[in-house]
Amino acid sequence: MTFRERLQAWRYNLVPDHLVGEILTKRWTDNAIPFLALVATLGVFGSIIPGFFKLNSLQESTRQLGEFSLVVIGMTVVMLGGGIDLSVGSIFALSCFSAVYVFFILEQSIWLALAAAWATGLIFGAINGYLVGYLRLRAFLTTLVTFIFGRALFDILVSTYAADVQLSQASSDVLDFIGDGTFWGLSVSVWLAVILAIVTHIALTRSRPGWHVLAVGGSRRSAHNAGIRVRRTVFMTYVFSGFCSSIGGFLIACRLSGAGPGTGLNLEIMALTAAVVGGVSLGGGRGSVVKGLMGAIIVLTMTNGLIRLGYGTGTNQMVLGILLAVAVTIDIRWLKNRHKVLNEVYVAPVYLKMGETQSAAPGSGTPYELDNRLSAADHIGLGELEGPEDVILDRDDHLYCGTRHGEIVRFFAPDYKRSEVFAHIGGFPLGLAFDRQGNLISCVGAMGLYSVSPDREVKRLSAETSRSWTSIVDDARLRDPNDCDIAPDGRIYFTDSTKRYDAHDWALDSIENRATGRLLVYDPKDGSTKTLLDGYRYTNGVCMAHDGKSLFFAESWACRVHRYWLEGPKAGTAECVIRDMPGYPDNINRASDGNYWMAWLGMRTPSFDLSLRHPDMRKRMTRRLPQDEWLFPNINTGGVVKFNETGGIVETLGDLSGAAHPMVTSMREHKGYLFVGGILNNRIGRYKISGADPNWTSPASYWGAKA
Amino acid sequence: MILDPILDVFRGKAVTIPPLDGAFRPNTRLDDAPAFAELPEPDNLLTAEGRLLVSSGNAVLAVAAGSEPAVVETFQSPVTALALSPTGELTVGLENGKLLIAGKEVSLPAELRCITALAYAGDGTLWLANGSAQHLPSQWAADLMKKGASGSLWRCEPGGIGFQRIAGDVAFPYGLHPIGNDVLVSESWRHQLVRFDGASGNRSTVLTHLPGYPARLSPAGDGGAWLTLFAPRNRLIEFVLQETHYRQDMIDQVPPAYWIAPALASNRSFLEPLQCGSIRTMGIHKPWSPSRSYGLVVKLDRTLQPQFSLHSRANGTRHGICSVAERDGRLFVASKGGDCVLALDAITGGF
Repeated sequence: MTFRERLQAWRYNLVPDHLVGEILTKRWTDNAIPFLALVATLGVFGSIIPGFFKLNSLQESTRQLGEFSLVVIGMTVVMLGGGIDLSVGSIFALSCFSAVYVFFILEQSIWLALAAAWATGLIFGAINGYLVGYLRLRAFLTTLVTFIFGRALFDILVSTYAADVQLSQASSDVLDFIGDGTFWGLSVSVWLAVILAIVTHIALTRSRPGWHVLAVGGSRRSAHNAGIRVRRTVFMTYVFSGFCSSIGGFLIACRLSGAGPGTGLNLEIMALTAAVVGGVSLGGGRGSVVKGLMGAIIVLTMTNGLIRLGYGTGTNQMVLGILLAVAVTIDIRWLKNRHKVLNEVYVAPVYLKMGETQSAAPGSGTPYELDNRLSAADHIGLGELEGPEDVILDRDDHLYCGTRHGEIVRFFAPDYKRSEVFAHIGGFPLGLAFDRQGNLISCVGAMGLYSVSPDREVKRLSAETSRSWTSIVDDARLRDPNDCDIAPDGRIYFTDSTKRYDAHDWALDSIENRATGRLLVYDPKDGSTKTLLDGYRYTNGVCMAHDGKSLFFAESWACRVHRYWLEGPKAGTAECVIRDMPGYPDNINRASDGNYWMAWLGMRTPSFDLSLRHPDMRKRMTRRLPQDEWLFPNINTGGVVKFNETGGIVETLGDLSGAAHPMVTSMREHKGYLFVGGILNNRIGRYKISGADPNWTSPASYWGAKA
Repeated sequence: MILDPILDVFRGKAVTIPPLDGAFRPNTRLDDAPAFAELPEPDNLLTAEGRLLVSSGNAVLAVAAGSEPAVVETFQSPVTALALSPTGELTVGLENGKLLIAGKEVSLPAELRCITALAYAGDGTLWLANGSAQHLPSQWAADLMKKGASGSLWRCEPGGIGFQRIAGDVAFPYGLHPIGNDVLVSESWRHQLVRFDGASGNRSTVLTHLPGYPARLSPAGDGGAWLTLFAPRNRLIEFVLQETHYRQDMIDQVPPAYWIAPALASNRSFLEPLQCGSIRTMGIHKPWSPSRSYGLVVKLDRTLQPQFSLHSRANGTRHGICSVAERDGRLFVASKGGDCVLALDAITGGF
């Protein structure tokens, strides 16, 4: 092995590249960018401004933050519902004025002032909501109009009543407490913001109206089709936003004991920036209250920090603008390209040097030598069937197979010309086995382990095992249950081929070659599923040995067959019995002469074996080429291999013409015939085995002669 | 994506090839045609004195309708190029680097060891394409996979003293078509047709971005030309050409027949590489799937622009076409990968 190859082996087998892709599949990665921005902002301003984190300074900042957060929560909800609310600043200012007017000029109680603020906010919110939600005007223009109108109204009112407010003698302890006091060290505005944030968060994530908002924002039409009252939902988001702004306005009225021309100025820009910077999507449907709050902290820290560093309003606005532009770009580009990034980084190949193999070429004289015998097989269901991965026969000689449409099809003996859908399960039924009671047990790709009773009742037996401690993606779920067999005590041993890919992407797993295949056992007594073995390269076929004391299972991408001991001195351990085959093994089943049949789904090629030693090349291949162009194992040629109890190869059958049985994934011996299935084939083959016991059947071999 | 140019530095560009469109739109005309004659690996076609000559292995044979191919002459090494002088002398290039004119060996400069094409101009000038300075004609795949560009173009004037080198650094010249004083050359590894000036040797590209590896050129009855492409371009192969270490290991450790490289015929052994799209599914081998071999003949008009084409697609068998010959309105096509010679009537088309 050259130094370069050794380096490659270390680099690709020890560095866990696959974790990057697995982390990216998580929804919470959307929060990572705003969170990092938050940490960076706090870090930068905290370090360059002395006393930034001092209690006094924080208290004043947080009061402001509380008011601002309230507005941002409202904005976030509107944006989640697919809209935008530019009028939050003017609603905030008008609510502030209402409160001030009622309290200082009319000299009414503070509670009436609060009610006035609320009423102002709700009325303006309702106007927005009515225009946008029910009349379906453009959110941007409509709220722009409300914004201009509200601002103008506020300016007129403030200039008219400013002097009266100054002269007012009204005062209240409650007002002072709300404006200046603290409760458990935190100001009222912060408490209010926290409470509202928690309530809104729970409402959005755990309640029907909240889900409706997200659904409408995600896709208006789908929400409508699903029966959600889209217009009312949109209306309510604006009303809620007006309500939030009005609380903010009331709080600032208490804090400043008045209203000035600067109240709520540019607040809509700040709130919008905060929501977008926090990661609330402009398109609607994606985001959360927490994201909005993160954005609020970032924006407020930046603007306050810049002011304290001595920069003027112009710089401040400029920074906000740049921040908004960057956030919008990231938001849109990330949303659009996230799945592409995921596609590019998900496949993380590892290094593997396959062992030297014996040739399977015709004329090579090895036991693996392929011939053309299988091309002589009769065909069953030609053109009707799609994807019979496994085939099985019952005691009455009827033939069963799964199809890629999620069905189990039954062909009737004796000529197998007539067929019916025996049961519909869904997924992709793969491995099949009959238990003692005659239930048909099936490993269903992408779903789990299922049982179909003789009267066609479908029952799920298992869809998960226990999760391993170090997994990032949930590996408790069975992604690719592949083949099963049943021990004499009724326990079902089955394989889950990979944790990394779903069943239909099984071929991607061969490119990656990461060892994540498992052998599991389902116990019908208590319904539990346990992982017995982990870390094989695509575990596939399972077959109980004739004596029922051990089982064979195939490890496809490593071209090996292992024996797992159920009892005896080696119970619970596995040993490799066949290694370095020239083909990739699939299902294994019993033969009438005490040996075992094994299907080869494809053949090793020198070019693919070499590529396994060049993981960097495979990684680039998956990035630069579309999937149709990728290099694959040669699965256009398969075969059937017979091996004995000790792993010795007895004989090999093939279809070198590739016309009838190019890829073989299963075979089942029954009364002197071999029934051959293929996951990508459109037929089942029936091949007469010379010299086979014409009375031997698999159900009798497993469960004894008919009772 | 706007960041692509930046990211490309780290991850590399997507590998793309020209689409089969316009004049190259696929059809099945080569697979529809009946076999005119069946013989192993017919390479070079030539019409001479009313006969159709074809090279196959060490022999030159005459083929005619309704009879078995008859051996005209056999040589000590495989025939790699054929041409007929205006005076009717059969000119033959051999794998061992020898050139015979009317049975007499002609002395060649030592560097001429890979004769891939021969053609006489109207005035009797003999043009010779030397495919590679390092490899023999049969080792063309190695020359491609080692990114060879050491081919050269030679000329011998009528009654002249010998061969003169006109141009070097040609990436596997594989076809010649004299036009007046100039010559049109198919430069295989660069997927293009280049016109060399007969006097100065200056080159100008005529047709670039061909969807396959161009092989021999032959004159068409209407004044245009026939171009054969012996193998298709394939994105996996182009990708492997960018992969230095994998390619080097493949050349060193994998038998050439099983390389990820263009081929004259494919799907003959389970040891050959397979691409995802070529997987046989539900009994179907998709004709548009990526393939290492293909059958493609292109008609060029008088201005040497592609006019129409004849195809044998990925699921066909008439692959690896290295030479065609037109006679009396019939087009004879030698499919080296399909072991047969085809005859097509009514060879018209357009797009």
